[in-house]
Amino acid sequence: MAELGKEEPERRMLMMGNEAIARGALEAGVDFCSGYPGNPASEILDTLSKLADKLHFHVEWSVNEIVALEAAGAAAFSGLRALSAMKNLGADVCADFLMTVNLSGTRGGFVLVTGDDPSAHSTTSELDTRNYARLAEIPLLEPATTQEAKDMTRWAFDLSEELGLICMVRTVTRISHSRGVVKFGQMLRRDRKASIDPQDMWTSGSSNITCMFHGILHEKIKTAQERFEESEFNWYVGKEDAEFVIVTSGTGWLYTLEAVRLLGIEEDVGIMKLGTTWPLPRKFVAGHLREAKEVLFVEETDPFLEQNVKIAAADMAVTDVGPIRFYGKESKHVRGEFGAGTGELNVDIVIKALAETRGLEYAPVAKEYLEKTQKMLGSYVPARTMSFCAGCPHRASLYAIKKALKWDGRNGFVTGDIGCYSLSMLPTGFSLAKTLHCMGAGIGTANGFGNLEKFGMDKPVVALAGDSTFYHACIPGLINARWNGANLLLVVLDNATTAMTGHQPHPGSGINALKRLSPKVPVENICEAIGVETRICDPFHIDEATRSLYEMLQTKGAKVMIFRHECPLAFPKEKPATVYVDQEKCIGTECGCAAFCTRVFGCPGNIWDYEKGKAKIDEALCNGCGLCAQLCPKGAIIVKEAA
Amino acid sequence: MLGSAEKGPKDLQKEVLSAGLCSACGACVNLCPYIEMVEGTIIIVEDCNLRSGRCYDFCPKTCLDLPTLDKRLFGIHRSNLAIGSNIAVVKARATDGEIRSAAQYGGVVSTLVTFALENGQIDSAVLAALSPDKITPEPVSVRKRSEVLRCAGSKYIVCPTLSKVIEAMDETKGKTGLVGTPCQVAAVRKIQEASQDESNEVGLVLGLFCTWALSPRAYDYLKETAGSKSIIKLDIPPPPANVLIIETEEKRLEAPLEDVKRFIMPTCNICFDMTSEFADISVGAVEGDEEWDTVIIRTHLGEEVFRQAVEAGLIETAVLEKEKLHHLYEASLSRKKRVLLEMESKKISNIVLPAEDRVKILSNQEA
Repeated sequence: MAELGKEEPERRMLMMGNEAIARGALEAGVDFCSGYPGNPASEILDTLSKLADKLHFHVEWSVNEIVALEAAGAAAFSGLRALSAMKNLGADVCADFLMTVNLSGTRGGFVLVTGDDPSAHSTTSELDTRNYARLAEIPLLEPATTQEAKDMTRWAFDLSEELGLICMVRTVTRISHSRGVVKFGQMLRRDRKASIDPQDMWTSGSSNITCMFHGILHEKIKTAQERFEESEFNWYVGKEDAEFVIVTSGTGWLYTLEAVRLLGIEEDVGIMKLGTTWPLPRKFVAGHLREAKEVLFVEETDPFLEQNVKIAAADMAVTDVGPIRFYGKESKHVRGEFGAGTGELNVDIVIKALAETRGLEYAPVAKEYLEKTQKMLGSYVPARTMSFCAGCPHRASLYAIKKALKWDGRNGFVTGDIGCYSLSMLPTGFSLAKTLHCMGAGIGTANGFGNLEKFGMDKPVVALAGDSTFYHACIPGLINARWNGANLLLVVLDNATTAMTGHQPHPGSGINALKRLSPKVPVENICEAIGVETRICDPFHIDEATRSLYEMLQTKGAKVMIFRHECPLAFPKEKPATVYVDQEKCIGTECGCAAFCTRVFGCPGNIWDYEKGKAKIDEALCNGCGLCAQLCPKGAIIVKEAA
Repeated sequence: MLGSAEKGPKDLQKEVLSAGLCSACGACVNLCPYIEMVEGTIIIVEDCNLRSGRCYDFCPKTCLDLPTLDKRLFGIHRSNLAIGSNIAVVKARATDGEIRSAAQYGGVVSTLVTFALENGQIDSAVLAALSPDKITPEPVSVRKRSEVLRCAGSKYIVCPTLSKVIEAMDETKGKTGLVGTPCQVAAVRKIQEASQDESNEVGLVLGLFCTWALSPRAYDYLKETAGSKSIIKLDIPPPPANVLIIETEEKRLEAPLEDVKRFIMPTCNICFDMTSEFADISVGAVEGDEEWDTVIIRTHLGEEVFRQAVEAGLIETAVLEKEKLHHLYEASLSRKKRVLLEMESKKISNIVLPAEDRVKILSNQEA
């Protein structure tokens, strides 16, 4: 990691896309970096935070993405070079500022890096943030390789400074997390001074002023487009003046290359790869579509490039390009398991689209072989659901919630939120959560559910929130609940870290992104200040936790239970206890147990001995938390503390 | 045969819990992680997925096979249709002044439990103690006289005694005794029947006379009526008083029985057994005499222990007035008749009763 901070301009190094983006920012001389953890962008700030001290620049994990973007914006107003990195849905959170800072403009280079997640591997949406570039009318760069991830980030600062406008670099999972060889460039670090002058006015204004700024924004975009026409990030390979052109961007580039090669049609088609996807470099595009009769778009996730090129083509019809048959997601040629316009790209999808549009036959493997493989995979690799880690306090918390709701007997339910505990919708979380959307939606929706009594809603609602989520998005929801009289119980799952994204710190951690001590803002202080009944309990004290929760369900109004116990991965015990099952005491599937630990509790550390018909502990996974031992009806699970 | 019903928690939920027949005896609690009691209500927290289970087999409200239980305990079909098989019915009271002052009436129950413990007939006993709020009872396992005395006095709110009995049977060595209401006594006999190879864990079973018990929801009402004072004793004087007497440290309050009866467990209205017909010894009040207890000695074990206690000078006995005995028979029989009719109209059939007994009860013929 320290290697990424070294000068060595000609050095070649294997690195992750996110690391390349960080390197690009360093080469541009970034001064201020902010963001919020979110897959697939988390490593950008993780990497930068490790180099901040050595290279003297500011890195912070902000409490949420809009504060992050606003803070970075301020740095840019002050003449510094600022970067904000977040996952795609983070752009939703900071959209308010994005849609005004585009108009106010900035002074220092200001770059927003968004990480999209096609197929939503770990996101609750497939949001394609390229749409924000068009919406906010800001320049958009889409890296297609690890090298471009660095070079585009580097150049984005220059472009941003030239235009006085925030620029966007959009990456996806496979760019961010795959590794490629990257050639270092020169590090241009400057000792910039931050300043706000008396004449400065950083605003998007209102009424006429806004319209004026909006007009200026259009001019800036026009300039960006001119820069894009000459950009090294756009190129064309293959048949000159081809009649069949594949227009691609981002990951589509490498998939297309591979597909074309496998089909053996390198000589027959042209491939136009765009790295500056908005505003479209129309001259460049028209130049290579002059003879085109058919165009296939390969991009992810939305038909963004597809639609914009079609618009341009319509504009340039007759004069610059002839009538073209367009293929892509709108024609449903590029489609995955769930249809067109959704899901990740892969080589097979591109091959299929090309085969269909070109009338070619292609089978990657013989049909019988494919069927045989699928059958074998099914038996050797059974479909498995996701699970909380062994020793995870969420398992304890959700078990307490499950029992308390059962005791209550009114069929109460849980609203979920974003974090590891999103798995509360799955069997590992006892399938408790009935809703799951975005950061803060747990308590947000609970505000609604908690005020439907007049419509016959007689069930108690429990809203979940992680500790980091609480700071990010739940405080307004809690205030609203108190103010508008919503009946809800907020359970804050405080595991002392932002776990799901890689154990980043948060305002309750007592340390900042640079691992320095920083003031804590305890969750309970905020709740008490808001004026709601607040209790704190260790969920591993499972009986007390269940009872306390049950009591809280009996009263009206907004209440908070903080289940506090650190994440065992973030704070591993030096000498965990050894846990084993006493085979004499274990009664397995008999009445009185019915395989409780494996069938109901479901910790990955609890496994089954099919020969003996009894439970046992997987020592490799077991974390030594001892919760299963507490719950075992026969006291057959023994916990031996380390010496 | 009991224990082979091939029914489990799903049937328990359908036939007993959802049907409002649960008396909170506690027999199904502490058997497994799936069944718990919350404020007197049995909740099945999770499906155990087993088709048959002990919860159904032990529950006194799923099926009470009177002839089978009679045969097991007494060897014969019941000798007395009104109050069940018995060797003798007497009037008795404790001779020990300390026990008498702690007790509700005659103090026979406390004496017998203490005697059985000190005599080694049992190693521990499960009794109902008053929790710190002094109204809701909770089951405790006791081993000595002082602990027994702390449990003296009638409890009107249900106590899940059986949950502690099952715990004791699992964990302690030696014999466990208990004091229970008729449904609790029946449950213990069903447990003994179902776990035939694990017998000899249950010792002396003392049963109480019982006409109804209150749900824990009565707690709030009683607490409010008593004000902030702590309750020392609850009592229901004989008719025509129609009140519940609440004695606090300050004074003696009266709550209208009508108000209290709102909290009666619904299942009590169709309970067939007023005198704990399957206990070793059953103990209840004597009509109009707070100094004495009515004692029904039923089994040989009960007779043995009672005789020894009398010989040790701990209990004095007297003949129960014929009139009062007949009143007892009448009360029990008329209750059985009412219950049989109620069960018929509600289509509840959880008692196995020989047809001829049924006819006799319904036609007012005494045994």
